[in-house]
Amino acid sequence: METLSTEEVEKDVTAIVAEVTELDREEIWQKREANFFKELEIDSLLALEILALIEKKFKIQIPEEKLVDITSLTGTINMTKAVLSENGRLKGEPQKA
Amino acid sequence: MGISFEEVRRLVPQRYPFLFIDKVVELEEGKRILCLKNVSGNESFFVGHFPEYAIMPGVLTLEALAQASIILFKKSFLKEETSNSVFLLASLRASFVKPVFPGDQLLLEVNVEKVVSKGAIVQGTARVGEEIVAKASLTFGLADKSSLG
Repeated sequence: METLSTEEVEKDVTAIVAEVTELDREEIWQKREANFFKELEIDSLLALEILALIEKKFKIQIPEEKLVDITSLTGTINMTKAVLSENGRLKGEPQKA
Repeated sequence: MGISFEEVRRLVPQRYPFLFIDKVVELEEGKRILCLKNVSGNESFFVGHFPEYAIMPGVLTLEALAQASIILFKKSFLKEETSNSVFLLASLRASFVKPVFPGDQLLLEVNVEKVVSKGAIVQGTARVGEEIVAKASLTFGLADKSSLG
């Protein structure tokens, strides 16, 4: 499986969140710390769509308990990096034996 | 495994004239459902859509796919009755390929893409015979009635 740099993960997750929220990529990146539910009017089912698109894009399985980490763009990026890292798919991270 | 109209009525909260599943033809729990809807010339919506030219509203084909999704979700993931919960459609991407007329038999197939305890994303396809009439991606969730405005 291909390994990804943190920049690639940030770019791809930002594109996914921009698509689901119908916000401009620049705009959502500037608001990357903003709370999806309180500030960006994203509900929990849109968070589910984000999760499903991330799974498809990176070909990974994300367990349901990670859904609570999708609360901001930064949170979503960090969650994605963590799952990729657990699977040895993040560049610069020690590969799993 | 098929499901009769009686059980469909038990599973789907909608009622006449808004129940659009006649029976379940095939069900693979957690994965896929195939339902059937016979479109009669006596459907109530044909009275107004349109008076001079009966054509099934595309949004009702989508509603039929949503009802098929409810059956799939309930049979697969919701084993206990939850009278306080309602299914809410959160988002929908759909395309309509061909119109549906009186006498058509709608085959409604829904495949699970992603499911969590409180909702799911599914891909639905409506066919008449071998021909696709509509396709849709639906995201829906289960909400407590008391949480709704």
